[in-house]
Amino acid sequence: MTPNMFYLLVSILFSLGLIGLVSRRNLFIVYMSVELMLSSVNLLLATFSKLLGSPDGSVIALLMIAVIAAEAALFLAMIIHLYRAKKSIDSDNFVKLKERTNHA
Amino acid sequence: MLELSIFVILALFMIGGSVAMITNKQTIFSAFGFLVAMIGLAGMFALLDSRFLALAQIMVSVGAIVVLSMLTILTINAKEESLPHEPHKYKWILVSTILVMPFTFLLYKTLSSFGQNFELTQSFTSKVIGKTLFTNWVLPFEIVSILLLAAMLGAIVIARKEEKEL
Repeated sequence: MTPNMFYLLVSILFSLGLIGLVSRRNLFIVYMSVELMLSSVNLLLATFSKLLGSPDGSVIALLMIAVIAAEAALFLAMIIHLYRAKKSIDSDNFVKLKERTNHA
Repeated sequence: MLELSIFVILALFMIGGSVAMITNKQTIFSAFGFLVAMIGLAGMFALLDSRFLALAQIMVSVGAIVVLSMLTILTINAKEESLPHEPHKYKWILVSTILVMPFTFLLYKTLSSFGQNFELTQSFTSKVIGKTLFTNWVLPFEIVSILLLAAMLGAIVIARKEEKEL
């Protein structure tokens, strides 16, 4: 068991999160992709913690878990709010900020 | 050898769960893939001797976040017609995979320059983690508590129904 295998796994998981983030339009899958990217960074921190033999990496990962929980609560609240407004979870329907107003 | 086989099994579980999460059309099946990936991540933490982190991952990510997402998905209960219509889903996934592949390679090459051998150390039990958390990392810990309070208030305010809708 070498750190290289963990580095490879972290790279693959982060890229899978990125692929899900850019290629899907379902808001829930976008949310879970963001979570997956954050969690892969957590795995990298734990790997560094073992690599350097110091508990600092584990502590940062622990704080990261709290940040991920806060992000999840806000994201889910936002999805509920958007679903109430438009009855849809398609991210293409939420482009109000993109529309240009003509009456200057 | 045992560690290696455990790593391979967990890694296959995580990658399989993530791919299932990305490709499924039904949202609840994606959430199950995400659940498998999170449990695999907790196993990885245990494999890396971060026992307390594995416990926290099981309690927070699996026990709270995934369950909360599933609850939200089931509450919204989006029918077939209100799900996004994505006829070229696999084409988009293929294109973005090809575009992301060089980035993956770059990330892997950059990370492999950090170190090649694990030191033989003691495992990070809750005693070691707690001591470090409350000596060197006290300020970030307090900031995280304020962040959680702000996130809780924000979630309540955002998800609350407007007065005029009632």
